[in-house]
Amino acid sequence: MLLKIAWRNIWRQRRRSIIVMISVAVGIVATLLTETVSMGMMIQMLENQIGSHVAHLQVHRKGFEANQVVQNYLPDRAKVEQLLRETPEVEHYSERVISFGLISSASSSSGVTIVGIDPQREEKVTTIERSLVAGQYLSSRRNGVVVGKRLAEKLGVRIGDKIVAMATALDGHVGSDVFRIVGLYQSFSSEFDKVYVYIPLTEAQEMLALDADVSEVAVILLNRDRLNQVQEALERGLGSSYEVLTYPEILPLLVLQLDLFQESMLVFYAIIGIALIFGIINTMLMSVFERMTEFGVLKAIGMRNGRLVAMILLEALLLGAIGAAGGFAVGYILYLPLSHSGINLSMFSASLNSFGVGAIIYPVLTVEGVLNALLIIPLIAVLGAIYPALKAARFRPVAAIRYV
Amino acid sequence: MTAETIMPTEIIRTESLEKIYSENGVPVRALRGIDLVVNKGDFLVIAGPSGSGKTTLLNLIGALDSPTGGAVYFEGENLSRKSEAELSAMRLHKLGFVFQAFNLIPVLTACENIEFTMVLRGVPERQRKQRVLDLMRDLRIDELADKRPLEMSGGQQQRVAVARAIITNPSVVLADEPTANLDSTTGASLLDLMERMNREKNITFIFSSHDQQVIQRGRRLILLRDGKIDRTEEGSR
Repeated sequence: MLLKIAWRNIWRQRRRSIIVMISVAVGIVATLLTETVSMGMMIQMLENQIGSHVAHLQVHRKGFEANQVVQNYLPDRAKVEQLLRETPEVEHYSERVISFGLISSASSSSGVTIVGIDPQREEKVTTIERSLVAGQYLSSRRNGVVVGKRLAEKLGVRIGDKIVAMATALDGHVGSDVFRIVGLYQSFSSEFDKVYVYIPLTEAQEMLALDADVSEVAVILLNRDRLNQVQEALERGLGSSYEVLTYPEILPLLVLQLDLFQESMLVFYAIIGIALIFGIINTMLMSVFERMTEFGVLKAIGMRNGRLVAMILLEALLLGAIGAAGGFAVGYILYLPLSHSGINLSMFSASLNSFGVGAIIYPVLTVEGVLNALLIIPLIAVLGAIYPALKAARFRPVAAIRYV
Repeated sequence: MTAETIMPTEIIRTESLEKIYSENGVPVRALRGIDLVVNKGDFLVIAGPSGSGKTTLLNLIGALDSPTGGAVYFEGENLSRKSEAELSAMRLHKLGFVFQAFNLIPVLTACENIEFTMVLRGVPERQRKQRVLDLMRDLRIDELADKRPLEMSGGQQQRVAVARAIITNPSVVLADEPTANLDSTTGASLLDLMERMNREKNITFIFSSHDQQVIQRGRRLILLRDGKIDRTEEGSR
């Protein structure tokens, strides 16, 4: 009955109620679109990192992540491979040799991270092969190298040009070799493109005197939700000489950024809510003072103050909920096509690239986003109605009945 | 002991009841020491000119307001010693109200208005609906079941208000100028209804009115003047 009365009461002043609902809805639409676009950017940043190099998991010798020197190669490569083959959640893996080094061309040089890869395995784990913008991917041809387009520009080299790669080998001497550029890639991040160069695994091992050893194994899982369970299983299977790192552990700042962003959306909603709450307080105060006589009668016939307050709060909740639902519906309708086609921000592509984001942003709606949109504003509406409700409850019945 | 010698049961008593309002900072003594006893089954009219304190007395008896001095006893209990929650419960379970301006809840139908107090008491829906329909048929207002107050005449609204007041079989119904906004025929019909409820269900009725129709129907009359009891009359009808 309280719900029935509350529902009918909000439509007594139809125009006023609709204005409140529309103002709530507009706030929700704006916030939803902002959140989904921003979330899309954040997720794209993370996915780009995962897809370009980090993968879901990395297996190293313990201490490699903190000190990525060639001496910290995997203690037993075969053991790691076997365990990965036996783990059903593992979809693909790729072994790598990683070393900091120097690349020199005829005109320039640059500090880089040299990544020795098995091309066939690597293309199932990262997007480097799909990121090629010129030339071709690494193949069986000896001494081919794939570099970033930005790095090539910096070094003043093109497809077919030679470069010299140097790095400290396992035995301490400076290993070097000449490579011919076979492909140029362009990834999500211009900074990434300037740093990572790819050569065949065997040639990296040769250059760094590693024999058959590797620095890390990058792993892609069938289901990312199983990340922590797979990590635990691999750690148990490999023992304490290894470290098995998940992408949140490898990219803590980015993951923290994502979490902070989600928290900051609550603040954003709160700010929208504070702006709306004064409108709601005003509306509910008007509504309450217009009905003081009615409240007095309700108290006279035996309605307790608690129920009266509940009825008024219910009205505010309905106003907020309808506005939020309407705003969410409109926001969702606007979001859906954008989530498929993306938003073309190519005019900002240079800035976006430096953050590791592409020019086309695909908005992403998360469960938290849905809950925020549907719950926070109705809650704030209820908070806004507390003062008017308590005001109504404080009147003595006879004073309320006589209220003019 | 014969039927004539059965002692009346006191249900309401006021002792030196006083009420002082403040109007623009000026104290107004609305009641100046009222001593009154109301017995079960009374059909009592409190009459007097405007400003005599009729409505104030009714409001104090109904615990809608609190006295400045003196006390109101309902079934032997001093209302001043009760909390707001207890007074609220008393109004819900023991009292019914009929107001001059009808004061039905505008967004509810006649049926919903009548059953509202039963909702507050937690009566199950099926039981509520049956009782309401039975009462509406008895009062010949069943055709108003789905109508809202704006769709009813004044007389119809007041009949619904009476139904709301008596649906829970209260001990006492307080009616403040119930016929003030009605024509004489409708007012008479309403009083017939209330007399019948008084006779059949032994509900005590206390009216505040200056309507002669009401005064003539009362079996007891209390005449107020300037906040005091001027005279009382028994057996007006």
